[in-house]
Formats: sequence, structure tokens, C-alpha cells
Amino acid sequence: MDKPAAAAGTASLVAGDAADQDSDVIIETRSLSKTYRDFWGRQKVRALKALDLEIRRGEIFGLLGPNGSGKTTTIKLILGLLFPTNGRAMVFGKDASEVAKNERIGYLPEESYLYKFLNAEETLDFYGRLFDMPAAARKRRIEELIERVGLKWARRRQLKEYSKGMTRRIGLAQALINDPELIVLDEPTTGLDPIGTREMKDMIIDLRAQGKTVLMCSHLLADVQDVCDRIAILYQGELKELGRVDRLLTVQDVTQIQVRGLTDAAKREIRQVIDRHGAELLKMDNPTTTLEDLFLNIVRDSEAHPGRRAIEAQ
Amino acid sequence: MELEKEILPILDWLVPSVRGPGALVVFLAIASGLALISLFIGYLRMAIRLGPGEGFYAVAKAMGTAVASDFPRTVPRRIWAMTRLAMQEAIRRRVLIAFGVFALVVLFAGWFLDRESDHPARLYLGFVLTTAQFMILVLAILLSTFSLPADIKSKTIYTVVTKPVRASEIVLGRIFGVIIVNTAILALMGGISYFFVVRGLHHRHEIAVEDLELAPGDAGAKQGVTTREAHHRHEVTVNAEGRGQTDMIMDHNHEVWAEGTGGVQTLVVGAPQGALVARVPRYGKMRFMDRTGRPAEGISVGKEWSYRKYIEGGSLAAAVWTFRGITPDAFPETLPLEMTLSVFRTYKGDIVSGILGTMTVKNPRTGLSSEPITFTAREYTLYRHEIPRKLKAVQADGTLKDVDLFESLVDEEGNMELWVQCSERSQYFGMAQADVYVRSGDAPFVWNFCKAYIGIWLQMVIVTCFGVVFSTFLSGPVALFATAATLVVGLFRVFIISVATGEQVGGGPLESAVRMVTQLNQTIELDMGKPIEWTIRGIDAVLMGVMWLAANVFPDYWAFNTSDFVASGFNIDGNLLGQHCLIALAFFVVLTVYGYFFLKSREIAA
Repeated sequence: MDKPAAAAGTASLVAGDAADQDSDVIIETRSLSKTYRDFWGRQKVRALKALDLEIRRGEIFGLLGPNGSGKTTTIKLILGLLFPTNGRAMVFGKDASEVAKNERIGYLPEESYLYKFLNAEETLDFYGRLFDMPAAARKRRIEELIERVGLKWARRRQLKEYSKGMTRRIGLAQALINDPELIVLDEPTTGLDPIGTREMKDMIIDLRAQGKTVLMCSHLLADVQDVCDRIAILYQGELKELGRVDRLLTVQDVTQIQVRGLTDAAKREIRQVIDRHGAELLKMDNPTTTLEDLFLNIVRDSEAHPGRRAIEAQ
Repeated sequence: MELEKEILPILDWLVPSVRGPGALVVFLAIASGLALISLFIGYLRMAIRLGPGEGFYAVAKAMGTAVASDFPRTVPRRIWAMTRLAMQEAIRRRVLIAFGVFALVVLFAGWFLDRESDHPARLYLGFVLTTAQFMILVLAILLSTFSLPADIKSKTIYTVVTKPVRASEIVLGRIFGVIIVNTAILALMGGISYFFVVRGLHHRHEIAVEDLELAPGDAGAKQGVTTREAHHRHEVTVNAEGRGQTDMIMDHNHEVWAEGTGGVQTLVVGAPQGALVARVPRYGKMRFMDRTGRPAEGISVGKEWSYRKYIEGGSLAAAVWTFRGITPDAFPETLPLEMTLSVFRTYKGDIVSGILGTMTVKNPRTGLSSEPITFTAREYTLYRHEIPRKLKAVQADGTLKDVDLFESLVDEEGNMELWVQCSERSQYFGMAQADVYVRSGDAPFVWNFCKAYIGIWLQMVIVTCFGVVFSTFLSGPVALFATAATLVVGLFRVFIISVATGEQVGGGPLESAVRMVTQLNQTIELDMGKPIEWTIRGIDAVLMGVMWLAANVFPDYWAFNTSDFVASGFNIDGNLLGQHCLIALAFFVVLTVYGYFFLKSREIAA
């Protein structure tokens, strides 16, 4: 949680690149605040303090922060599940409380809150019927989504028999039933195994490729780093950082060199060059892969060669 | 059967007339009043939260959204999707078990019902209808109050309200879903209970030709007694051809006929008839004459229930019914009259033989009256009399002449008067308007039975609406309690109103509680010192106001209960059923609108 914030120490706070200025604004919040109160109206907690945000068409926007930082509250305010104490949230230029905006939104909540007594087909059919969609198109879309989230083999099983990963997938499918322009994902990778996480991230990137706008919140930094174009970092209900991920994560005054096939003599020569320019060599060694990559390589290798002991990680 | 309120034709009931403002006006007045009060409360709530100006804006916006956007865009497709969901939820939660329990209760009911009752049909019908009513209402409360709160608690509602679904569609979907499931269960209950009643009342007697004896008087007629079946036996009288009928026992009789020829003739006793009927009564307007023959109110004999008034025997006191629409087309052969009079004795007399009375048919225009027809009134026993077309009328000089009923004793507009008098001195006949009627035919019993179930269905619909509406802003158990409270208030409405208006002796709820604890008689003054008495009565005044309001706003469930008609063998008037349908519709509309606003104004994720 501290890493992006620390890394951003040398990065500038970028409210929006010049190139993005002309893009459509899909979500806009102005001084959006939420205070939770108890039964007697006494203030319990200020979950969100004057949030100003603009999310544009075609980007993957990440809300990042530790637990209780106001990420989910922001999403609920944008979806109209909560009413703001102050300020306002606009989606597609309409107030968040307007039902009509939901025609173009898909929402995957934190825990895939679905009806456990329905099976996958019935679930998608139910949600599909809530949209103005011809029956044939609905059926086609259900088939397509079941295929896409890989639940064809479990399509007639009640959701109460589903594993967490399967529930997450059907949750995503219901969020996409109306082919939405804006997809809101609350902790999309929660409870997923590494393969599921990677698939989810691939699907999110794929959505961007289709021109969709994605708003996601997560406290898993790797997820956000991998998929988001821009992020906002919230802490205790306040916006701490906002900008492009690559900019925020780039440590401007550190250079990293990765080369293959370098001889010891060449390495010595490079060190001399660095010394000559008065720079300090922090590290020069073989790069390591991430644990996620390692695990995935092993799994993939095991699937390709069943029964063989996992070979040395590449 | 007792009919405390006259059943008006549906249009007379609905629109303003001399009788009153009409149900439509009353509904509009109450609905407008409720709307204004609700708007005011809504504004107060928002004004406290947002300030007076913003509060007003918020209320106006909510109203605007409802009228301009949400109500017009409420579409059947989404309502049906929500309905299906509620149905699937109920079915997958094995709600059909309720029907199984009902079937089980009915299956073993025969063991516990009094099979020697004088009115077995009334007993059986009363039992099945009451059981079905109780079970379906409990089921409606459970299904309607827990569904939405469970969705909110498990947060599944998040995935629904983030789709283009209006709050009205969610409320309507829940209501329809619960109604459809309960309708299916109620239909199954209806089927099984009809079968139970018909099978339970069915029996066959036997009688042997050789057991018959010659009947006195009538040449060739014979009489005898059937075998004992279903805890009773009948006396039989057959004519020379072997055709006849049994006497009426346990509200039914049997046809008897001979089969076979010559020496091997056998008598067959048919299936019971008359037990399951749906009489269509034609009621008249009743008025009283006092002991001197002048128009007056009937006498009260001191009974608490003032439904029936009494006339004194051996005097000119009479009860007069004016019937309309008495035409030869409607009654081509005879005019079938039925009456159930109450008897009040000031001395015991001959307790077995009943009290003698007379009835006279009179032309209201000419005053020509028939010869008095004598009858014997027994307490709570139905007396039937067929007035023939040809009968004798008493002329001004006291002589009798033969007249035709419709030509001389009914006026040109088809009006006819029936004068009932008690013949025995110091004894009294008690009667209410519905105690005497012309039986204008019978409706199919099956349809009448269905109509009783429709009455139960309407109660279920209203309970469901209340349950769903309460569940839009209360948690499951609290919504259940609130819905059950409306049912209790609705069932004891008359009593609650009498407490709220101070008609009941002993004060309001708090004063009654004090009296109970201190064991103080209802009629004694409290005598606790003026300040305490004022405090108690002050709090009571507020509580009684709330009780009055609740009793008047919540439905009168008792009025929907038409099972008494079926159990007593009377057709449920279409006008009555129509009125009940419209009342239920009114509750449905108002409650759906309330449900919409409650759900719309609720922070789902709070």
C-alpha cells in the first residue's frame, strides 16, 4: 500500500493529460462527500471527503487504498446505492440517482451478491430481462457470456454449489449482460486464485480493447498496476494521489539496465562509465521474475506435461 | 344467517347517493389526506437533514421523478422478471410444504370434527375455509415480509437496483410473485377441501320394502325408517308408485324411488341433497308496527346484540317486509318464502312445540291482504313456506274470495308486503331484515365455494401488499410483526373502534391496564387523584386516537370473510364480491405507491 505512494514521491500529480482533455467524461464527481450517521442522526464516520474526480471514456480507472479508505463508498455513491451528504456524482452526465443511467452500466460487487437458488442460465436470464433486449438477443448473449467466463460445464448448477471463483465469473457475466459502456468492478480479483486473477485481469484489459470504460477499486496493488491506466489513491476518505499509473510508478531519478549476454569485462567497463559520470551504482544483477509469473509458469508447464515434476523456474 | 349490513348494488355503493358519499369519494378523500400527511412528513424529514430549502427541492424532485419518469416507465417485462424471481425463490425454499401441511390437517380432520352435528355441512365448510384462510394468511405474511429484507441483508439487491429497474417494479414484482405462489397453493387447498367436504357429507341409507307400513290417511302411501348411516336415520314416506322423499335431518334429505317390477321390488335411497346449497335470497325492506298497529321501532328485549328487534305477541305488533320484483316471470309456480325467527319467551310455555305466529301477504297499494297463514317458529330453525299462486284474500266485509297472488296481492310494480305477527300473548318474535326472504333460486354450490375462496384470496392479497410495503423499510422480523399487527387490528376492528371512541366502559388502554392491576371494577371511578387521572386520560386520548386511525386505515379483514355465507348455504352476492374486489384494489394501489416511495427513498447500501 505504501509502495505506489512512495514511488509517486518524485512523480508529479497529474490531474489529466493534455491528450485526454478532449475525451468524453463518463463519471464526474464534484465535492462528493459521505458521512455515515447512526439512528439518532449523530455523525458516526466521515467516509468520503469532497472528492473531485473525472473518469473518461475508454480508460481503466483504479481506486486504490487500504480498507476503509472510501473506495467502496465512492463506487456506491456513483451507482446511486448511497445518497451523498454533500456534492454530487454524475454518470453519463446524469445524476447518480437516475435509474436510466443503469442501461449503460455493468456492476460487479465485491462479493458477487447473486441469487444462490438460481443456476447460471437463470441468473443471466433474470438480469437480461431487466434490460430492453429482445428475447433472441438475450439468449445469444447468455450463451456468449457463459462461454466467455468458462462456465459452460456448470451452467445448470445452482449458484449455491459454485466455488468462489465460479461465483466471481458468473458475477462478471451478469455485469456484462447488457454489453455496458461503463463497467464498475469492486475488488474484482478478491478470492480468485492466481489463474483466476490473471484471467480476470486479461478480461478487464480486453474490455478496454473493446472501447469500454472500467472503474475498479482494489487494495491489491499488483492488480491495479497491471491493468489501470489511471488511478486515484484514497486514504481515510481523502484523495491523496491521482494520475497515470506509468507516471506515478516511474522513479525518475533511477535508471535500470537489463542486458543479456554481457561479459565480465563489459560489466567492468559499464561500472567505470557510471563512476566517470559521478553516479552511484545501486544494483546490477540478474532480474527476478515475480512470484505470480513463477507460479503461472509452473502451472502452465504442468498442464502441458502432466505427471512431470516441475522444472526449474524460468 | 345474520347480515348486519345491507348489501348495496355495486354502483349505489360506489358513487354518491342519498345513502352517503359513496365508496369512491371516501377513497379519494382518504387517499388525498394520506398523500398530504405523507408529503408533510417527507418534507419534515428532508428539511431536518438538508435544511428547509434543499428539503423542499428534494421532495419536489422525488415527486417529479415518480410522476414523470418512474411510474410511466414501469414496464411489465421487468415486473414479470421480478415476479418470476420471487416465485422461484418461494418455490425453491419449499413453500409448497404449506400445502402438504394443509392436506395432512384435512386428511385427519374427520377424526376430530363432531360427526353427529345437526349441521354437518356448516361444520365441514366452516372448518376447511377457516383452516385455509389461516394457513394462507400466515404464509402470505412470511413470504412477503422476509423476501426483500433478505435481499437487502445479503446485498443481492445491489445487483438488481444497479440495473434499470424502478422501485415500483421491485415492489410490484414481489407482490405479484407472492400472490401467484399463494394463489396456486390456495387453489390446491380449494380443490382438496371441496373434495373433503363432498366426500365427508356423502352417505347412503337403505330401506327394505317389507319394513314399510301403510301411512294413515293417504291411500296407498307407505312410511318407514331408513338404516342408520352417518349417525342418523330418516323417516320415509313413499306414494303408491314407490316414489317419495325422506324427512329433513342434518340439513339434508334423500329421494326415494322403487326399482324392479312385480314381487322383486326394491327401494333405492338416493344421495343426500340440500346439504350443499347456495340459496339466492331476495331481501325486502323491513319496518315495524307497535302493539297498537302504528309504525314504530321494534322492541329491545335487553339483549346486548341489538341486531334483532322484537314484536309482542297477541297484539297488533307486526314486522312488515316489502319485497320488490315479485313477478310471475321470476316465480311462475309458487313464491318460496324462508324465515329464521328468534323467539323470546316471557314464560316457558310448551318448550317443544314452538311459538305460533301468522304471516299475511298484502298488496301495498290496495291494502288487500291474504288469509293469515299460520306457522310455528322455533329458535334458529329455518321455516319454509311456499305461497301458492291461488289463495284466499280477506275482503273489506270480512268474507274470503279466491284471488291470484300476482293479480291481487302484488301491485303493478311488483311490490308485495309480508306481515309477520306473533299469535301468543306475552311471547315475542325477534327479527332482522335478513331473517325473512324470498328464495329466488339456487346458485351452483361449486361457484359459491369458489367465491368464498376468492374472499380468502383478497385477504391474502391485502396482507401481501402490507407485508411487502413494510419490508421496504423495516427488517424482516419487524415487518412480520407490523403486518401481523394490521391483521389483528383488521380482525378486531369493531372492538378497537369501540375502545377508541370510548364506547367500551373502563377507559382507554392505559386506564384499563391500571384497572386490571389494581383490580378496579370498570364502572367505578378511578379515584387516584386528579393529576394522575388527567395524566392517564391524556395518554389514553393519544393512544385512542392512534387506535382509531389504525382501525380506520387498516382493512376490515372480517368483512372479507364470506365463508359464513357458504357454510350457512347462502349465495355470496356478486355485488358484495365486487365491493370486496374494489376495496382490495384500492389497498393494492395505495400500498404499491407507498412501497415505491419507501424503497426509492431508502439508501440501499446504508
